[in-house]
Amino acid sequence: MVEPAVAAVGAHAAGEPSPFGVSSRKLGIWMFIVADAATFAALLFAYGYVRVANPDWTRPFAFWPSIANAIVMTVILLTSSLTMIGAVLSAQAGRSRDALRWLVATMGLGTLFAALHLREWISMIGDGWRLFRNPLGGTPLVGATFFGVTGLHLLHVVSGVVVIGFIAFGYRRARFHAGHLETVGLYWHFVDLVWMFVFPLIYLLNLR
Amino acid sequence: MKRYVVIWLGLLAIVALEVMLALLRVPTGLLVSGLLILALIEATLGLLYFMHLRYERRVFVWSIILAVVITVVLMDHIWFDAVRLLHQRLTTP
Repeated sequence: MVEPAVAAVGAHAAGEPSPFGVSSRKLGIWMFIVADAATFAALLFAYGYVRVANPDWTRPFAFWPSIANAIVMTVILLTSSLTMIGAVLSAQAGRSRDALRWLVATMGLGTLFAALHLREWISMIGDGWRLFRNPLGGTPLVGATFFGVTGLHLLHVVSGVVVIGFIAFGYRRARFHAGHLETVGLYWHFVDLVWMFVFPLIYLLNLR
Repeated sequence: MKRYVVIWLGLLAIVALEVMLALLRVPTGLLVSGLLILALIEATLGLLYFMHLRYERRVFVWSIILAVVITVVLMDHIWFDAVRLLHQRLTTP
């Protein structure tokens, strides 16, 4: 049984406005994003550390096809953020059919990104690259950092596509609303934002 | 939507700048600094517009930004050791 004093405090707390002026759903996804940003920062710092400490760092990517492929992937991911914005704006305006179309477009672009990434991975594995093996004879940390950083990002992309699909399904059946689309949109933009650091640091610095 | 298309075009332009910078024969330190500054500009645009931080309360925005900035600043002490290892390797016969 709940004590009367405790129940009163609980009722008061439930009626209080959020000090941040956001819903608990949005606050929750932002807390996740902050924690995930620290995870990716730690991985990228670890990559930077071993890269600086190894003057003979292997550079496995040529401009064609690897860097060109990464540029296409970057454009695809940036465009998927725009389609996600389209979904959220449409849902907020009550245009549910448009919102669903934008969500499907976002999922399609996310899937295309993942497919291009996996194709690159398969090609590298075919060349002998492994998590702890460098076929060119240099430090095996090249493979460890590349597969580690891009693998975690790819996991986020694939998870994002699945979650967007789940939200789209629920939105179509009126179980979810525009607020849910905004929340999954924040996650998707974060995945895009992480790639803004992975692309120059892992791929473009490979040219030097 | 028009505003977001402009931001998207701006982000694509920054990506093009990054690629051009990487292809130019600039010193490595300048290249790394340039790429990081451009990535930070991209991240700022994404946070402010795509993730709507521009329209949230300041106390919320600063709570988020400070948490990430403090984490990243605390990680920065590793660079001295990375440079020490680099020089150690270069001086080894």
